[in-house]
Amino acid sequence: MVHFYESILIDTVDGLQCKSYSNEHPEGYIIVKPKYIPKNVIEGEGLKYRFLFEKCLVRFNLFIKKEKLLVYIDQFKKKFPDYVYHCKDTKNWFFAVPKEKIKKIHDSRKGLSELMQVPKKDLDEYLTLVRELIDFLTKSGVSVNDLGITHSTLMGNYTPKKSDIDIIIYGKDNGWKILDYLKTAKHKKLHWKTDEEWGEYYKEHQTSETVHFTEEEYVKHMRRKRYEGMFSSTVFTLFTVEEPNETWFKWGEDKFDPIGAVTIKGTVADHYNSHVRPGYYEITNGKIIYKHGKDIKIDNSLKIKRVVTFSIPFVQQALKGEEITACGLLELVTPKSGEKYYRVVVGYFDAYITDRREKELIKSDI
Amino acid sequence: MHFYESSVITTTDGLHCQVYGNEHPDDKILVKPKYIPTDKISSDSLPYRFISGRKMNRLDLWTDKDKLKQYIDAFTKAYPEYIFKSPMHEKSPLFFVIPKKNIERAYSPRVGLAELMSMPNKDLDDHLRKVVDLMSFLLKNDLELKDFGVTYSTLMGHYSPNMSDINIVVYGKDKFWKLMRYLQEAKHENLKWKTYEEWEQFYKKRNRHMIHKKEVYIQNMYRKKSEGFFKETLFIIFAVENPDEVWFKWGEEKYNQMGIARFKGTVIDNKDSIVRPGCYEITDTEFIDGDESCKGLPVKKVVFYSRDYCMLAYPKEKIEASGVVEEIIPKKGEKYYRVVVGYFDAYLSKRRDEEYIRVLDD
Repeated sequence: MVHFYESILIDTVDGLQCKSYSNEHPEGYIIVKPKYIPKNVIEGEGLKYRFLFEKCLVRFNLFIKKEKLLVYIDQFKKKFPDYVYHCKDTKNWFFAVPKEKIKKIHDSRKGLSELMQVPKKDLDEYLTLVRELIDFLTKSGVSVNDLGITHSTLMGNYTPKKSDIDIIIYGKDNGWKILDYLKTAKHKKLHWKTDEEWGEYYKEHQTSETVHFTEEEYVKHMRRKRYEGMFSSTVFTLFTVEEPNETWFKWGEDKFDPIGAVTIKGTVADHYNSHVRPGYYEITNGKIIYKHGKDIKIDNSLKIKRVVTFSIPFVQQALKGEEITACGLLELVTPKSGEKYYRVVVGYFDAYITDRREKELIKSDI
Repeated sequence: MHFYESSVITTTDGLHCQVYGNEHPDDKILVKPKYIPTDKISSDSLPYRFISGRKMNRLDLWTDKDKLKQYIDAFTKAYPEYIFKSPMHEKSPLFFVIPKKNIERAYSPRVGLAELMSMPNKDLDDHLRKVVDLMSFLLKNDLELKDFGVTYSTLMGHYSPNMSDINIVVYGKDKFWKLMRYLQEAKHENLKWKTYEEWEQFYKKRNRHMIHKKEVYIQNMYRKKSEGFFKETLFIIFAVENPDEVWFKWGEEKYNQMGIARFKGTVIDNKDSIVRPGCYEITDTEFIDGDESCKGLPVKKVVFYSRDYCMLAYPKEKIEASGVVEEIIPKKGEKYYRVVVGYFDAYLSKRRDEEYIRVLDD
């Protein structure tokens, strides 16, 4: 039941660099995704290495082949058991940094504030572009104080013309304000991928998320998203994070019983929380259309009310009024107060190493 | 206490420092602050950089002297723990130190290079591949990987491809000299030394004409093999001293300031001229001018902190040095005199433009 902003970089005493993966966290832990880990922790083929801050580190990639990921996660868990949080509430596990293992937290908001004070004459071409992008985004009416920078932009290990610009938007209203602004805003350096470019991207980046989509469906979903664009040929990504008073759940208040993998259909009643991690779509008329297992039994008197995603490719995937198809882990939710209901969760860490990996999706009927 | 020069240390309050000697007082590391956060003090006369998520001033000792003095005064007040008054000096020069308790992380060039060389080639960017290729070339002599390191922006990861230099560290003076001999003859298609014309431009740009005779200066620089281009990127090779080969030990000598003067003499040994602080042993010294208190003193050493003076002169060559004259009283052995060029406080006074070492052409 602790708030800690999502997408924040954390260095640990064991030499890991992690990224917070939620805005709500269990007491004593920060839920994270390991980003870079010491090279001796995992060994095998297909790994990517980076030389950062004196060390050769392995980039932890959830999207490598499942069989390999299974081995790497196993190696990780053996080497760093403290970094695995076994959640009693969800009966699932998460990567997490125990608070006593935190060495340094890289403050995204403070980082941008510092960057904005650097005289323009002393900025390199990459940072000049970041500043220009920030100036443009604030034209939406969102204050620079509600923006931050993260990843290589913050750490300073970016490569001009190659590294993305990663921006954090603090507050869900601010997130939507900017995303809505970007639907129509113009800037000579701003470029959104065209349908043809999304089509090319689809062909070149086949992942477990994209296989459920035809090229046409994929393009339709992506063309209307505004969390990733190009600014003077540099990719920028916008991550919206929740302020402490606006998180849509409090860790530890609800109980979740995993039932099994299902595919459901439903109508989006509210997409307001779909731009954060984890995000969710409030749905009505939720119906199971396929059970991916024989032993899945449900109480038909309870409603399927939410589709939750930890996976960035599925944020902002559907809008209010649209019918969606979602496949993920069905959970029975027992809230602290109120009626029980079901939700479907896409993108839990265990999904990347189980059969759910190839099945999980959120698709809008557009 | 020994701690390798050219290492990088970040402090708990956000400073990035380069270690500025191989010998240090107990519980402190002598450093040059390189990047200083701007939350406590800042100066528009110094360049700004965005490093590690902070707006930093880059300490440039060649900026406007008065403004530099103001900045250092402010630094002294903001970071009193980082100023060291040496009890070994009768009148302490300005030293910057990091108290050991303030070290956030020490970055080792040796560890960094070993890690870099273990990277799969496929995961190297252009800059890192250049470093690896340069190292593969340097390792063709008899030195081993553990004798080398890489430092500054390459080590810290905030280099700019095609802009940042490559700074290589060699552990051990004999090994460095061996490498220099190797580089006198070695060839590589991507290796290029600064041409006579390029050194001439450097000479003009850095106002060396104020001090050095052009032909002599260029000739002296031209013979250095510690600085060149590899795949069009400037590389510089530094030597650092292993614990058993430091040319002085902190705390085993006392220093009395005699005055400011110019001396000339003949180099009899330059083996320590490759490190920081570096040293030339000289003989047949002559007082040229300066404080009367220095007249006739038998100066035996010329010591410097600026890398510009590394390997400038060789035995039997005559040099002239302008700086602070000190009387050295060792715990063991006889007292002697030396000229020191480049203490930090020299940059805050007219000495900045008056201190130098040059090779004489006669």
